[in-house]
Amino acid sequence: MVHNKIRRINHGYLFVAPFIIGFLLFGLYPVYNTLSLSFTDATLMKVDSNFIGLKNFERLFQDKTFLTAVTNTWELWIMNFIPQLGIAMLLAVWFTDVRLKIKAGGVWRMLFYMPNLLMPAAIAALYFSLFSYYGPVNQFLVRSNLIPEAIDFLRNKEITRAIVVFIQWWMWYGQTTILLMAAMTSISISLYEAAVIDGANSWKMFRYITLPLIKPVMIYILVTSLVGGMQMFDIPMLLTDGRGSPANAILTNNIMMYMRFRSSQGHIGAASTIGVMIFIMTTFVALLIFYLLREKHDDFKGKSG
Amino acid sequence: MIKNYRISTNILRFFIYLFLAVLLIITLLPVWLLLVNATRSTLEIQQGISLLPSQYTLSNYKILLSKGLDLPRGFLNSLTIAAATTVITVYFSMLTAYGIVGYEFKGKKFLYNSILVLVMIPMQLSIIGFYQYMSRFGLTDNYLSLILPSVASAGAVFFFKQYLESIMIQDLIDAGRIDGASELGIFHRIMFPIAVPGAFTLGIFTFVASWNNFFNAYILITSRQKYTLPMLVQTLRGDVYRHEYGAIYLGLAASVIPIIIIYFLFSRYIVNGISMGAVKE
Repeated sequence: MVHNKIRRINHGYLFVAPFIIGFLLFGLYPVYNTLSLSFTDATLMKVDSNFIGLKNFERLFQDKTFLTAVTNTWELWIMNFIPQLGIAMLLAVWFTDVRLKIKAGGVWRMLFYMPNLLMPAAIAALYFSLFSYYGPVNQFLVRSNLIPEAIDFLRNKEITRAIVVFIQWWMWYGQTTILLMAAMTSISISLYEAAVIDGANSWKMFRYITLPLIKPVMIYILVTSLVGGMQMFDIPMLLTDGRGSPANAILTNNIMMYMRFRSSQGHIGAASTIGVMIFIMTTFVALLIFYLLREKHDDFKGKSG
Repeated sequence: MIKNYRISTNILRFFIYLFLAVLLIITLLPVWLLLVNATRSTLEIQQGISLLPSQYTLSNYKILLSKGLDLPRGFLNSLTIAAATTVITVYFSMLTAYGIVGYEFKGKKFLYNSILVLVMIPMQLSIIGFYQYMSRFGLTDNYLSLILPSVASAGAVFFFKQYLESIMIQDLIDAGRIDGASELGIFHRIMFPIAVPGAFTLGIFTFVASWNNFFNAYILITSRQKYTLPMLVQTLRGDVYRHEYGAIYLGLAASVIPIIIIYFLFSRYIVNGISMGAVKE
């Protein structure tokens, strides 16, 4: 028996060993390496590099472009996340409402989700074509006399930002709808029945039954969307010239990191510094949201059960 | 009273369907325009919008090839990477999850909690350190640097841990042990066959993510003949293709059509799979 148990214990390690080795080699070490590079003046052009302490970080904090990139990334994410959650919530409530009986709910949400799977690089190039000066959007607007002459959408700061926000919303609201629906359908129907007997209206049921019970999924949506949003790259990179034009309107953290990396000298030290800063910022905020909201959720569970 | 209520529900229902229809048009129109324009000549595209396909697909394709865009090669490159990544992710993540679900060992709880945290941490941001590290081994501009990291995919392990817990049949595993099967043999011959539906679901997501991945490939791959599909798509923005709209749309369409086909074939797996990691039963 004892022998058998020892054998099984060892096998447990054996099964998880590839993951742990893989994680150390391809996960943890690159993080360490990025961190140590951020303290050096390393470039791709020379073999040696010097330890320069916090100089990269000092330079980065003095660089107004970095502030622009961070602000842009946050704004582009928040502007898409709020309508994304709002519309998804509306759709999820409608699709799961037993009285409304919306037909073919499965087909609707399947079609709404589709943009999420398409290649972001191709999507960005597609919207570039759609909104280019001679593109279909201008053709439509001019021919139907909605505007007197074609607009150069992608040279206008605000419009370009709006397009990025729209694309992000367009790609993600379907996924959010599906997640919220899964959470809502897993709520026991007897809770709503009891509320109806107590004379609660739809809003009250949503506010006091649905909303508290879908909180864990909302945290999941919030955190995954935030982590993804802070790394926004493909869409803003490929919508315009790859430098966040016009006038840095859609310059994001990752585009800035990429520009340092691909600069003529290949400043990987400075690029790593940006990576480290976004890493710290994102991880901190993600863990903070998770921690704050989870505590409250446990409280709720404690009170009701 | 009841009649009034019915009328108001019907009015509400009408507006909901109207809203859904508008949303559907917004969602599908850009993709439809992409597919239609891929079949139209540049002249037709410049003349105006059409929602009906034309017949210039082949000539658009010839223009693409004549400008040096090797679409078949990009296709093959992306397929190779996505297939290898999928197999490795599915196999090793299930192996790890099975180790956590099926065995007791010291540090298991710590390992699992670390995986939970890792799911939330943006590891991709260490790409510069990863690049420099890979270049020391001469692995930049090599597909291995894109494929090997999938041995340790925290998200996939998390998915399989939840999944295996719900389908695990301990009696079958014990029976296998009595029959003298090795522990790895039990995983391969008993656990894996039961877990095929889950493996398939995760496999689709991994494949799509790898097929669409632009950032990592853009940093790690440099030589033109190793370009993946998203990297080729990015070159369509260049001056060489200026005003060859039909050809550009075709290049973009070619990179999204395989995914659209996969989606319509397996949408049930995909739609159900989205919530599997997030909603606990």
